Amino acid sequence: MTTALDDGTVIGDVRIVRRALQLGRGLGWAATGALVAATVATGARLLGPLVVRGGIDDGIGAGDRGRITAAAVAYITLLVVQYLAQWTAQYSVAMLGEKYLRVLRETVFAHLMRLDMAFYGRAKAGVLVSRMTNDIESIQEFAEEGAVTLVTNLLTIVGVSAAMLLVDSRLALQVFVLILVLLVASRVFQRYAGRAYREVREQIGRVLASLQEGITGVRVVQAFTREREQAGSFDRVNEDYFEANMRAARAVAWYFPIVAFLRVVGISIVLLLGGRRVIAGDLSFGSLVSMLLYLDWFFQPIINLSNTYNQLQSAGAALGKLLRLIDTEPAVADRPGARPLPDRVRGEVRFEDVAFGYDPDLLVVESVELTVAPGERVAVVGETGAGKSTLAKLALRFYDPVRGAVLIDGIDVAGATLESRPRHVVLIPQEGFLFNGTLRDNLRYARPDATDDELWAVCRTIGIEAGVRELPERLDTMVRERGSRFSVGERQLIALARALLADPAVIVLDEATANLDPQTETRVERALGTLLEGRTAIVIAHRLRSAERADRVVMMDEGRIIAIGSHDELLRSSEPYARLVSVWERGLLR
Amino acid sequence: MRLIDAEVASGLRLLTRTLRRYRRDMALAIAGALVWMAMIVTVPFITSRIVDDAIFAGRRDLLVPLVALLVGAGALLGLGIGVRRYFGFRVSYRAEADLRNRMFEHMQRLAFSFHDMTSTGELMARASSDLSQVRLIYAMTPITLANVAMFLTVIVVLIVLDPVLGGVVSLTVPTLLVSARFYAARVIRLSFEVQQRLADLSQTVEESIGGIQVVKSYGQEAQEQAKLDLAADRIYAKATRLASIRSRFAPLFEMIPSVATIAVLWIGGVRVIGGQITLGEFVAFTQYLAVLNFPLRITGWFFAQLPRAAAASSRIQALLAEDPLIEDPADPTALPRGRGEVRFHGVSFAYDHGPPVLDDIDLTIPGGTSVALVGSTGAGKTTLAHLVPRFRDLEVGSITVDGVDVRRLHLDELRSEVAVVFQETFLFSASVRDNIAFGDPTATDEQIRLAARLAQAHDFISDLPDGYDTVVGERGYSLSGGQRQRVALARAVLRDPRVLILDDATSSVDAIVEAEMLAALEQVMRGRTTIIIAHRTSTLALVDRVVFLDDGRIAAEGRHADLVRTNPRYGEVLAQEASRR
Repeated sequence: MTTALDDGTVIGDVRIVRRALQLGRGLGWAATGALVAATVATGARLLGPLVVRGGIDDGIGAGDRGRITAAAVAYITLLVVQYLAQWTAQYSVAMLGEKYLRVLRETVFAHLMRLDMAFYGRAKAGVLVSRMTNDIESIQEFAEEGAVTLVTNLLTIVGVSAAMLLVDSRLALQVFVLILVLLVASRVFQRYAGRAYREVREQIGRVLASLQEGITGVRVVQAFTREREQAGSFDRVNEDYFEANMRAARAVAWYFPIVAFLRVVGISIVLLLGGRRVIAGDLSFGSLVSMLLYLDWFFQPIINLSNTYNQLQSAGAALGKLLRLIDTEPAVADRPGARPLPDRVRGEVRFEDVAFGYDPDLLVVESVELTVAPGERVAVVGETGAGKSTLAKLALRFYDPVRGAVLIDGIDVAGATLESRPRHVVLIPQEGFLFNGTLRDNLRYARPDATDDELWAVCRTIGIEAGVRELPERLDTMVRERGSRFSVGERQLIALARALLADPAVIVLDEATANLDPQTETRVERALGTLLEGRTAIVIAHRLRSAERADRVVMMDEGRIIAIGSHDELLRSSEPYARLVSVWERGLLR
Repeated sequence: MRLIDAEVASGLRLLTRTLRRYRRDMALAIAGALVWMAMIVTVPFITSRIVDDAIFAGRRDLLVPLVALLVGAGALLGLGIGVRRYFGFRVSYRAEADLRNRMFEHMQRLAFSFHDMTSTGELMARASSDLSQVRLIYAMTPITLANVAMFLTVIVVLIVLDPVLGGVVSLTVPTLLVSARFYAARVIRLSFEVQQRLADLSQTVEESIGGIQVVKSYGQEAQEQAKLDLAADRIYAKATRLASIRSRFAPLFEMIPSVATIAVLWIGGVRVIGGQITLGEFVAFTQYLAVLNFPLRITGWFFAQLPRAAAASSRIQALLAEDPLIEDPADPTALPRGRGEVRFHGVSFAYDHGPPVLDDIDLTIPGGTSVALVGSTGAGKTTLAHLVPRFRDLEVGSITVDGVDVRRLHLDELRSEVAVVFQETFLFSASVRDNIAFGDPTATDEQIRLAARLAQAHDFISDLPDGYDTVVGERGYSLSGGQRQRVALARAVLRDPRVLILDDATSSVDAIVEAEMLAALEQVMRGRTTIIIAHRTSTLALVDRVVFLDDGRIAAEGRHADLVRTNPRYGEVLAQEASRR
């Protein structure tokens, strides 16, 4: 569902605005303060021309130097007030934006962490990352500049209109006719430019994707001497982007001249109609001058708002995508009345008529009946797509069955609290995944409160203590991105030590497919033996040896269990299993 | 002004040289900007004439013609803006697109040695963010030129109007310009820092999502949340610093002209009373002040941005100046018919004056036979194999294919006869058909299917949702490692090359897939010269001969079964190699 979120604009969608505001709860007072400050600043700015009018009419017109000085002093006072208020307003609006963004980042990420593994199976990791990065950044752009522009300029427009009416309502109304024309032009521009900018955003995405593909695939391109063709197809994508940009540029190149022209027409109207009245004596000269000053302040905000429109639109679209992500309910969550699993469990895992499918109409696991006794090691085997991994991960409650139940010590895990499961059931994934950080951080991942002594103890048991002691920085050694400091085998051993520290009753082991050399293999095997000792283990097996070592083998095909028994039994009784074993034997001559 | 360093200078040279190609558009944009500027100065002038000569003088008859003149000036003003914007955009987007094209084309030609040393992210940054810097500067050039012309004009006009008042007002120009440049430099630097923190957050998110299984398995969502919160806090800290500077300075820029307004009101008011200037001139002064404000800020920004754009452009220049190293010979020889005999003669190779990776290798692979290269990491297996299709060039020794030195052949001909399947399979975001036909877009469906059958890929491709039309690659359907490798294999055999090079094609597949891969390999190797880099016993058993590389030399040669018995070091290296992957 998340991949299909790149649709059009959401601005004006009241529901989205309301939801967005809900996220910013608690920022209300700050927002009110910012608004007050902005109003004061705008008010002070708008009073300026009135002071100038007073200076002209009462001072210059009357030849009174004292009045001029008074006007100048009043103007300075206004400036100081305006500056302070403007500073406060701008600062608080920006702070508000940054606070809101922080809440947004934390909320969206917290929701991502809550979402279930079936969601992660569907969604592309790149798309999720871009929700947290590109989408929030486009809101940030708006928050940093656009929001202030929006608030102060809207206020300015309202204030200027009021001030113009105050100075001379007749002249003001005559000028306002122009404003209608301007509003119509702006509306047309926004519609046209909005479309153009949306296309620009799409095209830049294509350019970047094509660029990245060209760079990462450059060796293949050269191996097949397709450099020219590759450059040609990039040129086409690049040219489309240029065209999209030019469409937006044409909109801009039409709109801004119109605004500038209308401004001069506005000045002309004031001079022509107002001038006649000054000559006739029913309008003061100062009023005319202040009207001219206001006119400038009327047009500039409209230009500013049009410039902000594009930002506002991408921010709105991004916000829409984020809200829709937040609205995705996790399929696995604490149910009403959920109770934690007991502190100690024996580790019996029972599948009762379990069925599951990522798409409920397309079951991946069907009618599974299986009881794994405490301390038993079960190997799940079968071809790719047989449902081995899904079945095993149901024990972790990565998914909730659509039918039947998974029970641990007789307790339905779907009815237990999510937080209590990891203490008893843990997954060891194929690749020993390490997080960027120190070795200590990685070991302690399972139990953040573990002491160094405990860490050394698990290292000893797993057989990596000597190796870790030889590292120059020992437990403080940085594992680098995804653990690249260590070999595959070492990473697996560290992952095993981490699991040992968690001390769960049940382990789900997704066996690695990559072959290790015999020495490392032996070390991993031995460590696994120690780790699994006395624990229930469900092994997603890819090799003969794991099946041989298991107490029982569960053979799966198309989501169903087709045979259960020891390796030797199945070898005799199950023809598909015998076939699988013979493939394994051919593949592994060693 | 601080001296411009050589790097920035080379960047500026690229900027000006590129600009020369769009002379006409740039000239039009500048012309538009000048008209715009002239009208911006003219409008207040006409206004002042209307106030003085018509309104103040009470001449209603002059009012209409003068106002008509003003509207005309407004129309010209609009025209100037339109022309300036349209052509300014066109120059900048055109320059951006053309430079990006040139960079892409050039990157495609750069040798493996370059790409080994340069990360994708770095090249992406060259062709996106660096390029945007350049585009911005181009887009700003016409308006900045016009702005500079305008200050000068306005100042002259003001001083002519009234030397005292003009002098006072013109003081605001340097003040505004200098503070705008100072401000822009600080804001740009801080924005850059915010960008870096955003990149840190992005890395955190990528890791949490990449390792979501481990996170969920240990129920450590809270720990990930804490990392994210920290990253978000760090962004918040920098972003609010930026906001604080912005909010302090931005209103100040609006103030500076207002301060000048006070000066005009005060000094000018007194001078009007004293009769030194007219009321119309007084009005014109206040209008000029408003007019100057925005352009001055833009100009300050331009000069703050210029060094960054020059630095970005110098990085682009450095990329474009990179030597492709491997190119077609001046007078190529045609490849004679043959079975694909490959001969290495006294081949030595070292990376960038480092220790030799290959040391005097002599090896002949008779046409149609297969050889496996075995050796520890860094023993030069891949290097040796990559020398045949000239992914790298030799300094010492020579390599021939069917008797012709590879450096005497057209690259196109050489590489169509020597096909490679890389260790890391790369598929394009395109249909399976297009991926297989990548080397030869003219291939018929018949040929594509044949190649897929040969690579044991036809069956699973037919089972895909859209068969051969299924889109794969990063943005398409995810194939398994073994499936991707077989598509890559099909792609390599489509052109029926004489020589096939397979780099570790079965390193990371499980046993079942390995069995399928082996069947595919057996097929494609038949009757074709094959160089295969492998460490799995099952693969090694397939080839005619194993060449064991150790320390850059050929340490042993023979059948796998014999080497295992006779050479203990061979077994050791095989085991070591396996553990690394």
